[in-house]
Parts: sequence; structure tokens; C-alpha cells
Amino acid sequence: MSTTVEAMDKAMSVMTSAELASAQHSRETVGDFTAAEPRMVCRNVDVWYGNKQAIKNVSLDIGKNEVVSMIGPSGCGKSTFLRSLNRMNDTIVDCRVTGSIQLDGEEIYDKKLDPVPLRARVGMVFQKPNPFPKSIYENVAYGPRIHGLTNNKAELDELVEASLQKAGLWKEVKDRLDQPGTGLSGGQQQRLCIARTIAVSPEVILMDEPCSALDPIATAIVEELIDELRQNYSIAIVTHSMQQAARVSQRTAYFHLGDLIEVGETNHIFTNPQHKLTEDYITGRFG
Amino acid sequence: MPDPSIAKPKTDITTGHTVHRYDEELAKLRSIILEMGERVVEQTQSAVVALVDRVECQAYRVLDREPLIDYLSLDADEEVFRVIARRQPTAIDLRIVLALSKIAGEVERAGDKAARIARQASELLALLDTNADVISDELNQALQALDDKACCMFERSIHAVATFDVKLALSIFEDEPSLYQASNAARQLLGKMNREGLIPRQVVCLLTAAHALERIGNHAATIAEQVIYVALGQDIRYRNREILIDTLRHYGY
Repeated sequence: MSTTVEAMDKAMSVMTSAELASAQHSRETVGDFTAAEPRMVCRNVDVWYGNKQAIKNVSLDIGKNEVVSMIGPSGCGKSTFLRSLNRMNDTIVDCRVTGSIQLDGEEIYDKKLDPVPLRARVGMVFQKPNPFPKSIYENVAYGPRIHGLTNNKAELDELVEASLQKAGLWKEVKDRLDQPGTGLSGGQQQRLCIARTIAVSPEVILMDEPCSALDPIATAIVEELIDELRQNYSIAIVTHSMQQAARVSQRTAYFHLGDLIEVGETNHIFTNPQHKLTEDYITGRFG
Repeated sequence: MPDPSIAKPKTDITTGHTVHRYDEELAKLRSIILEMGERVVEQTQSAVVALVDRVECQAYRVLDREPLIDYLSLDADEEVFRVIARRQPTAIDLRIVLALSKIAGEVERAGDKAARIARQASELLALLDTNADVISDELNQALQALDDKACCMFERSIHAVATFDVKLALSIFEDEPSLYQASNAARQLLGKMNREGLIPRQVVCLLTAAHALERIGNHAATIAEQVIYVALGQDIRYRNREILIDTLRHYGY
């Protein structure tokens, strides 16, 4: 019986506590932003574009073998945050990142750290499929070759096949590896980009709206692939489709005007969010 | 300017969607259930009048009108399917749709109970032709008291659905002991009547009617559980009532 009391107490206290009101007022993140086995640990991250602050004091972990989805209205900073996880924002002249972002305990914004190998460890898949204007084989082989991950052609062939297998594309392209990657369908091109990312053995894969240019069937195939990739990689995905976030992720983070408003188990966020802004967004009450 | 995120809005929680049609669909679903609820209260009161005041035409009226509640429950089901298919509701909207679907079932079953009382009233009237005075005023009053309690609880549960009001739902849980008390009182009197000359078939009719009234009160409590589920996001079914009441009171409801 005490379990019932504790469960009720916990549930009621979450909903009525002064802490929640205070958190909502100060825009502190509601929910637990830590992961049990974190691969990437972000603490108090601020991102500035010149004088404009795009990300405000965000702390979030990306755990091993989990998919974390980031949702929020346009301009809320979710893509900016995602891009800061593999220093893609370095290419923007007046972009500044402060706070701490660690990959397996290593500070990724350490000046001594070379961003090129970092981007192999933290791979990225973009909204629009962007295969190189080369053959399917070369699209996948390019990364391992420049990073020196294989010693000979046989090893490279093996790696290309394994990457295409993991991306669920091998059966469809095994007989036409020498044909241009740009000749594939949109969904196949996106899976080719995922194979290209996998080929350099990343630890974390970042996906920025990976299905927004795909039809529902291609989207379903990529979502199935994301679920399979979770067994070996940590995945952070930005999506505008809340149904997709609900389908593919284990944890969901809701961003609003640069703040991380709420983070928690996806089931919980989509059935009983604690913060009113989260609830209003996912129920379509503003945006 | 106050931060909009601090307090839940005092406006209707089913409204405020960017797509206004969504608001209308949820409002329509709820209005069907509110109409069902009002009809059940009317039906129950009419059925008890037929039973206690021996007004046969009221019993027939209740039986004639019973299918209307069933048809409304079909409308509610259709609206639930439509909202789920079109809107893929989440969070509070999902809870509203799921809860209203369950509430529609509860209200429909409460309507069946009103019809059951009317059938017992009709049967009893046929049996009373030769034995008109055996049902005492005391028993009539006990049945009336049980009816008042059950109808009051049911009416409040429907009002609670209209606003998803936790306090109103809590008051229904608090009334459950007095419902059982009224039901026991009616049963005990029926036991005495049995000794004083009611034929078994008459006792069965009255017991069935009393049990149906108690069940209408139970349906009200189940509806109140769903109101709490919508408002607080907690599934409180099968939880100890006393602990639940204490916990809700503790948190200011």
C-alpha cells in the first residue's frame, strides 16, 4: 500500500510543487537531462550568433544506444544545438559556443582538438540527401579512405558492403555500385548518406530532419533503420514531425526560444508533459 | 506581463489549438457525452418515479427513450475514431479522447440501468394489482433517498466532465460511503418487507431496482476517475479510495 501512496505522492507533487512553478518561471529545464550511460555530456551550453544568443544554458546528455529527439518550433535552436555537437558551427564566422560539451569525457571545443576526426566520431545526416557526385561505392569509400581506416582494397570493399548492409541499402545497390549515387531515389540517397556516415565508425550520429524530404514509405524505412542503428550508435535527431519523435526516440527534448524547456522519456513527454509550453507545442496550441 | 507558462489557463482545456476545427471536434465529442449524461439523469428520475409513485406511463417513456442514449454512444464512438484518425492527439488531448471514450461507455451503461429500473417498475405494477399496499412509505422513502444520492453523484460526475474539475470528482469519491449506506438501508428494509408479506418476485424487482441505482452511483465514480486522469494525468483506477482522497486533499484539491 505504501507503494501506492509513494506513487501518488510523487505524481501529485510533480504537478503541484512550487519547484515546478519556479522552474517554469525561470525557464530551468524540467525533467532529468542526464543519461544512465552518457556518451556526450553537454553542460551549460550557450551558443551566440554575434550578439544574438541562440542557445541559453542548455544541459543534455546523449546516452549509449539511445535515440534522443529534439523538437520545438522553428527558430528554437534545436538545429543550432545539434550542429554544436560536432562543431559544425565552427564554419559560421560570428558563432560562439561556451559551456562544456564532452565526447567520452573529452572536451570537443578544446583548441587542441582537430574537428575533422571529431566529425568522423560524431557523424551527421542532413535534411536533404547530399550524396557526392560520385559512384555509390565511392560515396561510402571516401570517408574511410581519407581517414585511413583500411589497409587495402579488400578491406575497403568489405567496409563498403558492411556499411551499406547496416544502412539497409546493400540488396538494392549491390549490382550497381559503380553507378552515380545521385541516380538513386530520395530515400535511397538518404540511406546512402547514412551508410557514408557509418563507414567512418562514428560513436554518435546526428540527424537534422533526415526524413523531411522523403515520402512516407522512405520515411518508414529510415525510421526502421534508425531503430536498428541504435543497437550500435548513439543518435540525436532533430525533427519537426512529433509523431516521428514519438516513434523513434527513447528520450525527447523540447526547445523553445533557445531554452531547453523539458526533457524526459518520450512516452512521458507525449502523454503527460510537465511544462505547459511542451504541452501547448505537442498538442498544437501554438507554434 | 505574467509568464504564460506559470499557470494552467482557466479557459476550457479542450480549446486553444492552432487548428480551430480541432477545438470544435473535441467540443462536439464532449457535448455528445454531456447530452447522454443529462438524458441518463432524466431517465433515472423518471424510472424511480414509475417505481415509487406507481406511474406506469413513466416506465414506458423511459423504455421508449433508452435507444436514444445508445445512438448517442455510437455517435461518440464515431467522433472518437474521427479525432484519432485526423489529429493523432497527444498529451492532454490524447487523455481527453481516451477518457471521453471510456466515459461514453459508462454513461451508456448507466442508461441501461435506468431502463432496468423502468422494467422492474413495470413488472412490479403488474404484480401490485392484487397486492397494492404492501410496499411501505418507509421503503419508498429509502428508494427515493438512494435515487437522490445516485442521481446527485451522476449529475455531478457529468458536470465534472464539462470542466474536468478535480474537486468535483473528489466530492464524488467522498460520497461513495453514503451511497452504499443508502443502498444497504433499502436492502435491509426489503428484507423486513419479505417477512411482512411481499411475494418473492416483488422483492426481486425492488432489489434489482435498488442494485441498479447503486450501480449508477458506481458509474459516476468511474467517470470521476477518468476526470482525474484527464486533469492530472494519473490513472487512479484500482487505487485505495481513502488514500486517494487523502492525497488529493493534501495537495489542495
